[in-house]
Amino acid sequence: MLDLLQNLPTLTTLAAEGADAAQSAGMTSYEFPGVGKDWMGLIPLMPLISCVLCGLFWFLGVKSKLPAFTTVLFLGVSFVLTVAAYFQIHPEGLVQRVMWFNWLALDTASEGGGLYIDFAFYFDSLTILWMLFVSGLATLIALYASEYMADDKGPGYCRFFFAFSLFVFAMSCLVMGDNLVLLFLGWEGVGLCSYLLIGYYFKKPSAVEAAKKAFIMNRIGDLGLLIGIMMTWTQFGSLEYSEIFSQIADLNASGEEIPWAITIIPYLFMIGAFGKSAQLPLYTWLPDAMEGPTPVSALIHAATMVTAGVYLIARMYPFFVLNPTALAIVAWIGGLTALLAATIGMAQFDIKRIMAYSTVSQLGYMFLGLGVLTSAGGAFHVFTHAFFKATLFLCCGAVMHGFAGQLDLRKLSGVMKMKGWGIVGIAMLVGCINLAGLPFTAGFFSKDMIIAEAFVTPGFGLLGWIALLTAGLTAYYTFRVFFRVFIGPVEYEPGDDHHGAEESQDHHEEEAHDHGHFHPHAPGWAINAVLAILAVASILVAGVYFMGDHGGWAGSMVHDSTAYYESPYAAHDGEAHGSPALFGLDPHKAMYYISGVVALVGILFAWFLHLAGRKTAATSRADALKVKLGPIARAAENKWYVDEIYNAIIRVPLLVASHIFALIDKLIVDGLVDGAGWLPRGVAKGLRPSQNGIFQNYATGMAGGLALLLIIVWAMSMTGGSG
Amino acid sequence: MIEKLQLLHPEIALFITTCVVMILGLSKSYTLRKSCAIVTAIGLVITAWLGAISPTAGDDAVRGALFPGLLPYAKTLIPIVGLLLLAMLSGTVDRGLEQSVSRGKIFDPIRATRGEFYAFFLFSLTGVMLCATADDLIWLFLALELTSLPTYIMVAMSSRRLRASEAGVKYFFLGAFGAAIFLYGFALIYGAFGTTNLPEIRVAIGAGPVGAVGMVGFVMAIVGIAFKIAAFPMHFYTPDVYQGAASPVSGFLAFAPKAAGFLALMMIVGTIGWSHGAGGGLPEEIRTLLWVMAALSMTVGNVLALLQTSVKRMLAYSSIAHSGYMLVGLVVGPGRSDIANNGVAAMLFYLLCYGVMNVGAFAVLASLQKRAGEDGLVEVDTLDDIRGVARQYPWLGWAMVLSIFSMIGFPPLLGFWGKLMLLTSAISGDEIALALVLAVNSAIAGWYYLRIARATWLERRPEHMDAPLLTPVVSRRVVALVSAGAVVAMVVVIAPLQRASARAGQPDARPSLVEQIDEPDVSPEIEPVAMRDSSRDEG
Repeated sequence: MLDLLQNLPTLTTLAAEGADAAQSAGMTSYEFPGVGKDWMGLIPLMPLISCVLCGLFWFLGVKSKLPAFTTVLFLGVSFVLTVAAYFQIHPEGLVQRVMWFNWLALDTASEGGGLYIDFAFYFDSLTILWMLFVSGLATLIALYASEYMADDKGPGYCRFFFAFSLFVFAMSCLVMGDNLVLLFLGWEGVGLCSYLLIGYYFKKPSAVEAAKKAFIMNRIGDLGLLIGIMMTWTQFGSLEYSEIFSQIADLNASGEEIPWAITIIPYLFMIGAFGKSAQLPLYTWLPDAMEGPTPVSALIHAATMVTAGVYLIARMYPFFVLNPTALAIVAWIGGLTALLAATIGMAQFDIKRIMAYSTVSQLGYMFLGLGVLTSAGGAFHVFTHAFFKATLFLCCGAVMHGFAGQLDLRKLSGVMKMKGWGIVGIAMLVGCINLAGLPFTAGFFSKDMIIAEAFVTPGFGLLGWIALLTAGLTAYYTFRVFFRVFIGPVEYEPGDDHHGAEESQDHHEEEAHDHGHFHPHAPGWAINAVLAILAVASILVAGVYFMGDHGGWAGSMVHDSTAYYESPYAAHDGEAHGSPALFGLDPHKAMYYISGVVALVGILFAWFLHLAGRKTAATSRADALKVKLGPIARAAENKWYVDEIYNAIIRVPLLVASHIFALIDKLIVDGLVDGAGWLPRGVAKGLRPSQNGIFQNYATGMAGGLALLLIIVWAMSMTGGSG
Repeated sequence: MIEKLQLLHPEIALFITTCVVMILGLSKSYTLRKSCAIVTAIGLVITAWLGAISPTAGDDAVRGALFPGLLPYAKTLIPIVGLLLLAMLSGTVDRGLEQSVSRGKIFDPIRATRGEFYAFFLFSLTGVMLCATADDLIWLFLALELTSLPTYIMVAMSSRRLRASEAGVKYFFLGAFGAAIFLYGFALIYGAFGTTNLPEIRVAIGAGPVGAVGMVGFVMAIVGIAFKIAAFPMHFYTPDVYQGAASPVSGFLAFAPKAAGFLALMMIVGTIGWSHGAGGGLPEEIRTLLWVMAALSMTVGNVLALLQTSVKRMLAYSSIAHSGYMLVGLVVGPGRSDIANNGVAAMLFYLLCYGVMNVGAFAVLASLQKRAGEDGLVEVDTLDDIRGVARQYPWLGWAMVLSIFSMIGFPPLLGFWGKLMLLTSAISGDEIALALVLAVNSAIAGWYYLRIARATWLERRPEHMDAPLLTPVVSRRVVALVSAGAVVAMVVVIAPLQRASARAGQPDARPSLVEQIDEPDVSPEIEPVAMRDSSRDEG
């Protein structure tokens, strides 16, 4: 934290320079979106239809795989449309708007303001970039889930795909919405679906707890976002992106001082982003969210929903570049989260949890990228990460599915050598080299863009080192999993979850209950096909780094959107841009070598500690090291006791306070409320005899009422009504 | 008169359906008898379509009407809510008869009531729609009575229990009393202005003061029509009648006569016009009258609902309160053109909201029955009966809780938007006190509505009670879900619905046209809205 404080002054100078640069870099104009093709509006409609259909299947009690294939079909169409939209939007860098309908029109005419919200979608390259992987991965993962969830066929299966489709719809609204209200709806929608899906196994107390934790922690962030949206409305009188961005551009061009109210908006958005994207201090929900079915972890808690925070900041980048302090905080939070989560990940034994911590850590990189003004690097990392992390999760899911819920890396070994596990093993390897950042992988290029930028941006050198160290740790813990679980001596012990074994119950029911005769069942065609596609895609994604002229394809996508910001310190390959050099080399080139070496070192450590000379699944050389490290290792294994600390400093005081308030409530407020409540009830008791069921009385009442009203009117006209 | 026919295509379609249904219900063939509901539904769909293409503002056919844009809105809304009501009402009568027929008894047309029941239902809806077309006091009276008379019989025949007959008789006598009052009012109005034609009366009012006779006539007309909408002081019958009738019929009573009443009030109050006094608005007497009726209806309805243990009585009182809410819109008047200021539009929009959410709540009740000793299966009624229903029938539980939350006005459900429109129009019409009364009443209403929601979801069934059973009529369950779904889904299309109601609630601007005529720069194509505004500024 001390570093952060020391760095702030430098950042403030950066602020002034940044603002100047913004004006000179031509950010002062904003083009209003054109009218898009109607069919682009179908992209979010497809998941909605699928959601309705799955709900209908649920209602009708469908017991086949119909909901899964419905979902795959509709999401597939959505993906194809997204690709078509890509060719519509990207080549010319267009910004377009597609309208579904006017949604709200509250005209408070007298003040000249009003709230107009259209159900409309905003298409620019940033939207398309996100939608490409959201719809693409959603389709693949739905296919995977069709097999993974097959044991639950029936109401659970329908419920799963209902929530799954709803999630994709909400995510589409979040990403494609043309205003902040739609974004917020999507934001809450994905939160709701995340809650529903984490708690999918609602009979399991830990799953319910995790679902609640995720939901409640996100509320904290959402409050920030909500206040941010309200502030935006009060400041700009509109919530439409095009209106807000053009006003900001005008503000920039006018050269006037930015009102303080506008400069605090990024802090508020940031809180929302940190909650949704599991950053310090709101990250603890994400590892627990792994209680949900694995496809959910892969789609929602690795590839798509958790990147919503990154999207929010990228979309609202014009706000952030106005306030470099906010950017610096984003960078620092990102960097520190990356390091913290990596250290925890190193000491965990549950492979899905390790992947969860690695997600938190990689999200940290993305925020770091945004914070050091390389929104292109951040967005590119989101894109590559989505593919390889989904691959990794789905591999873990396949293992979990096949070994009756076993996720402990001390109880599994040599999985790749077993019959039928080849594709899983290879896909896992592909995912691991990407995550570890081995040279020439997609993860390598995207991570380097961020780290190099951290080094060249003044005041962020320390963060660069932290990011580099984290890269080494990442390589270590990634390959720790691979070396322990996938290669080495063949050994396994099934988990206690018979879920996975139910399918083959007819054949060997007794075996399923007897661990000695447990047969892991290798994944079927759907899982294998999805893994193969994803592994290939993860490799191919590396290629897009060399496309386009603004720092890769992702860079050119960001370049055409409002998330683009020309960093005065940007390091371009081979371009004479006055970029500072790193160790005498172009920063990106230097970073290729450095981070490549760091990754290899990490992997070597993992090999030495976890593979070389390992005879059994449970023991390795790392055990000796662990003993030597003593309390540090224990603390890391216990997640640095963050949950306990939160418990002590937040939950316990809140609990105490709530008891005190409850007491006050009971003693004082209840008395008042009951008093106030007594009044209408007392009146009611007085009036009740009038409703005694005797109809002559009713007629008298009616006549009396008429007489009363006539008297009132008569009295009024006597005292000079208009008559 | 003959040119009026082109406005009546939907009513004619409905009348033809009525005749067909009446005959079908007497058929010896079970299939044909059973097709009554389906034919009714088809008739309603055709009516809705004909209604949607009715002449609207700007067409010659509606030149001179008080609310030229009203027809498409009202004549689509009514058949569509009618479809929901139909799904809820089906299976109400003749179940015993059909059972004995299926056991081998010979079908006796004299004892069959199925066809009549649907026919009465359709007659009543025809009456409601005729209210929207009314431009004459006699027409209005006939339309109102066409709405009400069938409902008296529907209440009495809805259930074999004595309470239904008692409720029917009570409803009929009090209804006749109410009709007498507004008919007397109509007579006085005729006496004061020498015509029964509403546009002519409006011109007369524009030319001079209303006068004592006219004023008494209007007061009596408004108070009499208050019977149809169950507003103070004509609300006394509501809980007894709603409780006595079978739940589906109660749900029907909460919509159809109310819609007719509000359309009639729109016509009557629109005839007086909202352009009196310095700042515009109703004449002070009429404003006070409606103000008192609105405030007291809300308060009496909500306060009396607090002590109820019968859900049906609660919903009956809440129906009184909702009428009070809608009267607020009438007090405010059309204001400027857009929805946030147009009280009449807000009222029409609320009518739609109320129609949907009210069906949801009643349909849940209609879907459930309980065993009650020697009476056999009876409808659920008390809070105890529905305690813990959501555990047993989660879908019905959801339908109930969504309808209830919508009635509370809980954002973002449909009822919230309805109430929001009423509140914004009240505030922009400077009726701050009335807006406050509305807000406080919404809070009071939360008390008993939440009791219903809590009973269905959070509480357990009392030990000594049997679990409620589903009624064999599937369509009631379906309509409960459809209404609850609509409460959520219609939020998505709020703006188009608002625009539609704003068009419907926009009065004809002719009286102002006379004042504007000597200003040369006013082009004939100018929006009527703009004229109203400028004329008001001058005043």
